Amino acid sequence: MDMITIPAVNMTPILPEIFLSVLAMALLLINVFIPSGQKSYLGYISFVGVVAAGVLVGAGWGAPVESFSGSVVQDNFATFFKIIFLLSAGLAILISDQYMEREGCNHGELYPLILFTVVGMMLMAAGTDLMTIFLGLEVMSVALYVLAGFNRANLKSNEAGLKYFLLGSFSTGFLLYGMALTYGATGTTRIAKIAAIVGQMTVPSANIMLVAGMLLMLTGFAFKVAAAPFHMWTPDVYEGAPTPMTAFMSAGPKAAGFAALLRIFLVALPTLQVEWSQLLWVLAVLTMTVGNITALRQDNIKRMLAYSSIAHAGYALVGFAAGNGTGAAGILFYMLSYTFMNIGAFAVIILIGKKGEANGTVMDFAGLGFKQPALAVAMSVFLFSLAGIPPTAGFIGKFYLFSSAVQKGYIWLAVIGVLNSAASVYYYLRVMVYMYMKEPTEDFEWTRITPPIALSLLISVAGTLIPGIVPSVILQFAEQAVKLI
Amino acid sequence: MMADPHLLTILVFFPLAGCLLVLPVWKRPAAARPLALGVMTGELLLALWLYASWQGLAALKPILPGYLLVEDAPWIGAFGIRYTLGLDGISLLMVMLTAFSFCVALAVSWRAIGEKVGLFLALLLAMETGIMGVFLALDLALFYLFWEVMLIPMFFLIGIWGHGRHIYSTVKFFLFTMFGSLLMLLAIIALHLLHAQQSGVATFGLHQLIATRLPAGTQLWLFGAFFLAFAIKFPLFPLHTWLPDAHTDAPTAGSVILAGLLLKTGSYGLLRFGYPLFPQAAQTLTPLFYTLAIAGIIYASLVAFAQEDMKRLIAYSSIGHMGYVAIGIAAWQPVALSGSIIQMANHGVTTGALFAMVGMLDERAHTREIGAFGGLWGKIPLWSFFFLLFSMASVGLPGLNNFVGEFLVLSGTFTKSPLAAGLAFTGIVLTLVYTVRLVQEVVFQTERKPLPLADLDRREICLLALLALLVILMGVHPAPLLDLIHGPVKILVGGAP
Amino acid sequence: MLGAYLPILLLVIVAVLFGLVSIVLSSLIGQKKPSPVKLAPYESGCTPVGTARERFSIKFYLIAMLFILFDIEAVFLYPWAILYKKLGVFGLVEMGTFIVILFVGYIYVWKKGALEWE
Repeated sequence: MDMITIPAVNMTPILPEIFLSVLAMALLLINVFIPSGQKSYLGYISFVGVVAAGVLVGAGWGAPVESFSGSVVQDNFATFFKIIFLLSAGLAILISDQYMEREGCNHGELYPLILFTVVGMMLMAAGTDLMTIFLGLEVMSVALYVLAGFNRANLKSNEAGLKYFLLGSFSTGFLLYGMALTYGATGTTRIAKIAAIVGQMTVPSANIMLVAGMLLMLTGFAFKVAAAPFHMWTPDVYEGAPTPMTAFMSAGPKAAGFAALLRIFLVALPTLQVEWSQLLWVLAVLTMTVGNITALRQDNIKRMLAYSSIAHAGYALVGFAAGNGTGAAGILFYMLSYTFMNIGAFAVIILIGKKGEANGTVMDFAGLGFKQPALAVAMSVFLFSLAGIPPTAGFIGKFYLFSSAVQKGYIWLAVIGVLNSAASVYYYLRVMVYMYMKEPTEDFEWTRITPPIALSLLISVAGTLIPGIVPSVILQFAEQAVKLI
Repeated sequence: MMADPHLLTILVFFPLAGCLLVLPVWKRPAAARPLALGVMTGELLLALWLYASWQGLAALKPILPGYLLVEDAPWIGAFGIRYTLGLDGISLLMVMLTAFSFCVALAVSWRAIGEKVGLFLALLLAMETGIMGVFLALDLALFYLFWEVMLIPMFFLIGIWGHGRHIYSTVKFFLFTMFGSLLMLLAIIALHLLHAQQSGVATFGLHQLIATRLPAGTQLWLFGAFFLAFAIKFPLFPLHTWLPDAHTDAPTAGSVILAGLLLKTGSYGLLRFGYPLFPQAAQTLTPLFYTLAIAGIIYASLVAFAQEDMKRLIAYSSIGHMGYVAIGIAAWQPVALSGSIIQMANHGVTTGALFAMVGMLDERAHTREIGAFGGLWGKIPLWSFFFLLFSMASVGLPGLNNFVGEFLVLSGTFTKSPLAAGLAFTGIVLTLVYTVRLVQEVVFQTERKPLPLADLDRREICLLALLALLVILMGVHPAPLLDLIHGPVKILVGGAP
Repeated sequence: MLGAYLPILLLVIVAVLFGLVSIVLSSLIGQKKPSPVKLAPYESGCTPVGTARERFSIKFYLIAMLFILFDIEAVFLYPWAILYKKLGVFGLVEMGTFIVILFVGYIYVWKKGALEWE
């Protein structure tokens, strides 16, 4: 009897994923075996777990290690993104407890679900096979659908979950079809092999099946990163989902979408760059403009930040359209800084909000500047960073992305980008105007700031300011991360 | 280089350190006020000390020609951004003006600002750092950083302590300037990349970028972006619309800083960065520049004549005065440029003083409407005396400071473009008309409303006497200042020495 | 190269045509004698009782979902059983992991009370 040869399996590249999965399952069990009531300890455990996973991931920085016959790789690119995911998850965990308590939905399943999402995102970043990336995407998405609808008693949250599920599955269909066509055209799902086969084609753009596959994959990912015109789900989902989960969704999964998109397009399809660059040009302009113009008119702050998050995906797409090393490194840097400033802003929103998702408009920030000076200063830092004003990380990120476009010769793209950025200043300023220049309409009790949220705010402010003033170290990491791509 | 204990860094960041000191005591005005005063005075003394020793510094010949002090350190290696600060005669003049204007701003708001005093002072100090940085930065990315940073405190200053439609005004001010500066940022990036392509060196250093060879078309685009950013700050007609609003609704200190310094950053940027980086493009656009400047002078003077609000009138007069600065730069000729630079300082002092005086009047009468006053000469003679003096300075009366600047600008411009000089001269006549009307109605008319007005107190007299002294000193003996900027101007106009 | 997929396309066309043609033909040439019994929904030959839009307790769905979950996963055990010897220790460990994960889910479901009817 001839044995089936078992390929050599090296577990080290997916050690953090395994660790997090086991932890998540353990938390699920702990959750059901210990009587309900105090669920915060689950949050503490998962936060410690995320930090530990961060150490594991960080240890992998260096030369790439492949495993599972080349369908997963541990390289600097993946490591950088994994750190972003872990940061977004860690911050989301820190800001969840107080909110969930207030809204009366502090079910223990929250934390395992966040961890599963992270595992999925990590696989997307580390996957070098279309199937791995797809599996990662599904693990991430399924957990996210539940998280979006986590506040079961709230109709809007239900709507968010359902909407996200329907449109998400729809986009997954596109993505999978695109992958199938790519497989049909090249006969493989390994990204490196696709690159080799497409590289041998004389005119890859004449291969209809390949081009169709590329288009469908692009569409699928455009849904995931909320790029216009595939952004329709974003405002409703972001508004309806529990606020900590909105913060998480707009940072981590968006970065994961970019990670997979970058790897597939830059590694597998560089020979089609002329074609996809033009598409991304259009996509970037649409995304920035639609996001910013619509955000101008929003009163609900979560909705405003949802549109702003669309706009920010647009800025990242500018770097993607440029498609060069600077652009890719710019996306990495931008996603990292966006994680800090965006989750930070949502943390402040959580503290302003009241039970039942009340107090969620820009007007409710009136007078914050003098009632809670520290909180208002933190919010100002985040808003200035989102608006791209120095010396914040948001400025350096935009600087990076727009220089990549100029470098590539896409002057007009950069011009449209900065004009958008100027327009965006208006709606960020509006919040600041309310915080500092209007009197509060009603007097109400400010929520107590619990230590976890204080910690998350501290981390976010530091993560927004420090890379803005001394960005060199992180820029070096980002550049090393994209070197292999 | 030399025994330089990072003087420029101290000059830039000392106010920020002061800001951080004031913040913890922001709820106690009694502690915050003296602290801020101490920091600002210290800064002024440092600037004056630099001035006192400038000839000694010049003799030491630092690495960059024409500069007195240079500081250079790597900052963001990935882009080749360096922390480069440089002080030459022009910057030194601007640094002194900055340090002085902030003291004036503090003095006029000593009592006028009663709410959230500590925060107000902290913002003033933060802004001082930004403006100092703008006048000293020699790395374009660093310059851009300070350029943006100085806006943020101003935004809050007008928004929180302003009156009238202050929120509208401050948002308008912020958006206008953001819009221009973002396009400039893009031009900076493009210039950086073009330079990197040509020389293989990634840098944002002004003196390296000057060497970039640019095709005429590219140069025009890039200069256009710089020009737009600076013209909005200047403000040149028709990009000036934010200024009257911002001035009118700002607190007095805000107006003093706006007129005294923020407008100067526009003209300073143009002569430090715009012209040297893109000489041909600047040459091409000179007629446009002249046209806009002269249109601005005439338009602003006519509009000023029709104003009822004293602050708004002075705001429009500011646009007119800055028009002369613009003409002097457009001529790009040693005499005219010296005139422009002197005029920048003069305008800062005179207009700052006028805004301060209107602020004092507003504190007493709670109105700034010209029609509400009249016959002040009899009621508050001291105030009226100073007001008359500064108004005359603003008109350009010989012997007072503005005369020197305007005279130099016009005589210098005359050698390049007699037409422009001639048209600009008519502007002086218009200035005379509206200023005389203002003085006539407010100071000399018979009293229209019985307002209970008290004359100046000791603090105000000290402040105004100091300003008056400067106005006269700079008017009768401008030579030391001209000596100070003589060398740098020659280098600017003549290209490399 | 798309030519290789021509047979599939033909099959699709034939399948669609067959369906269409049968329906159209029967409606054209078939006899129509409707009666209440003929029009009633077919329920294994019994007479239908009550409305067709009956509401079911959500518990049925939960049980159905859980059944599908664990049933489908159990399917994976069959190929493993066939290749058990060839896969050796590797297969044992792999399936062990799989079953442990499934077991965790089972315990979770059980403790959550999803298996209790009342």
